[in-house]
Amino acid sequence: MITDAHSAETSDQTDDAELIRRSWDDPALFAALFDRHAPHLHRYVTRRLGDALSDDIVADTFLAAFRRRKGYDVTRRDARPWLYGIAANLIGKHRRTEVRCYRALARVGVDAVAETYAERVEARVSAAAAHRALAGALAKLSTGDREVLLLIAWADLSYEEVADALGIAVGTVRSRLHRARKQTRTALGGVDPTAFKEELGRG
Amino acid sequence: MDDLTMLSEFRVEVPEPDAARLASTRARLVAGTGHAGHAGRTVGAGGRRKPFWNRPVLLAGAFGVVAALVLAFVRFGPTGDATRPPVAERYASTAVVLEQAALVAETRSTGSAPRPNQWQYSKVLDRQPNGDPGDRDHRESWIRYDGKQTAGYDEAGQVTVSDHPPDPGDDDLSPMRYAEKLRKLPTDPAKLLAHVRGDRHWVDYPVEEKSPKGEQVARAETPDERAFRVLSLYLQQQAVMPPKLEAAMYRALAQIPGVRVQLDVEDGAGRRGMGLFREYSDAMRTYFILDEKTYRYLGMRMVWFRDQYMGSELVTRAGSVWTVTQLASAIVDKPGQRP
Repeated sequence: MITDAHSAETSDQTDDAELIRRSWDDPALFAALFDRHAPHLHRYVTRRLGDALSDDIVADTFLAAFRRRKGYDVTRRDARPWLYGIAANLIGKHRRTEVRCYRALARVGVDAVAETYAERVEARVSAAAAHRALAGALAKLSTGDREVLLLIAWADLSYEEVADALGIAVGTVRSRLHRARKQTRTALGGVDPTAFKEELGRG
Repeated sequence: MDDLTMLSEFRVEVPEPDAARLASTRARLVAGTGHAGHAGRTVGAGGRRKPFWNRPVLLAGAFGVVAALVLAFVRFGPTGDATRPPVAERYASTAVVLEQAALVAETRSTGSAPRPNQWQYSKVLDRQPNGDPGDRDHRESWIRYDGKQTAGYDEAGQVTVSDHPPDPGDDDLSPMRYAEKLRKLPTDPAKLLAHVRGDRHWVDYPVEEKSPKGEQVARAETPDERAFRVLSLYLQQQAVMPPKLEAAMYRALAQIPGVRVQLDVEDGAGRRGMGLFREYSDAMRTYFILDEKTYRYLGMRMVWFRDQYMGSELVTRAGSVWTVTQLASAIVDKPGQRP
């Protein structure tokens, strides 16, 4: 998706740091960073908040990143932690929406977030029991613990990258993740969740 | 399967957007970086699905949830009188109806308490305000009396039992816990009213929510609003309701300012009953519908008299109706069993 004029300069070999540095003088190059990272960032945001909010959050993330590009630490070759960190703040503004959806899923088995992206959703299908339990656990995590857990599980960031993204120590990432996983496991019953299911005939 | 693996499979079907989907978002960035070949903001062009909160899957037990949605984010359009019903609304004396309800409630017999491993069955008809015309959702569910398991139909039409208990932190109680909670409430109407005016049932009610900066997001619930909302929630627990307490609830409701009774209010299944409501807004009204003879709870009906906006977006049109109707509720022995 990058324009021909810039394709040579922004080939796969150019790392993010280099791209950002060059965008100081040539702002149009910043669009190449978008092409590289917007798809997975968009998916991550959609997974947390639903399809309706993700366009705005992704746009705002990149606009904020663009404005701050001169403060970017160019020793960090991969910009993903930086971008996810900016997005985390924007996602955080919708915390109530996010938690309300997890809670609704846990209670009644309807995933309002899934409804926003599915092509044809049988709107109120009952979700898998394990996902309901999981959603219940996610609703109860503290904001910071949930952020760490989902960056690890859904954004595929390493501990160091999560620390970088959220501006916290790696030790803090570990302890938050530990706490979050402990609570999640408890909610899942500490056993194979497929064992929760028990098929019964109608009537 | 460990927890992280399971988490990685949760909502895994979310697609990664293609270039076409991202085009308008990219255009915003390009415009923002000052090197536009494209003009301005083009977000929202074509094919975007309605934000999901426009079609909130409003939950049963709705008095809390909906009021929350309503109060927290929303403003209403100018008064429009076209949407008021063409037929004159008929009202009954609040004091008379509620005293009658109390007298009938007092005569109800109390069955023996269910065993912990019995199940409470309920069948609910939910017609959403923003659903397609004719769109209706029958939902059948079972919860074990002690709350240890719940059951419902899965996609394949099979009854599936899950071990996800209700969350007491959310006051989402098992029938047994509800019974315990109700047993502790005063059966003197004045004392009961004093209690429910400060009852924090459903404390996650967003009206109480504070923004990160600490300011109140919406005005706080007044004691009268709270009393009406909490009593409405409790009265839906008919399966575990002590008769004396139910009577006290009607008498307490009669003492709350603004509570009125409208006749011939229809539930989602077309049954007419007495619609108890509290006047709190000229933009909408929420009825708690009682059967005219038995005073049993039939369901709730919410009507919008004015257009409702969220930000600049019209979310619910004047004239919209949302109903949640209790079609059946009973104690059975097994999940999947109907009374």
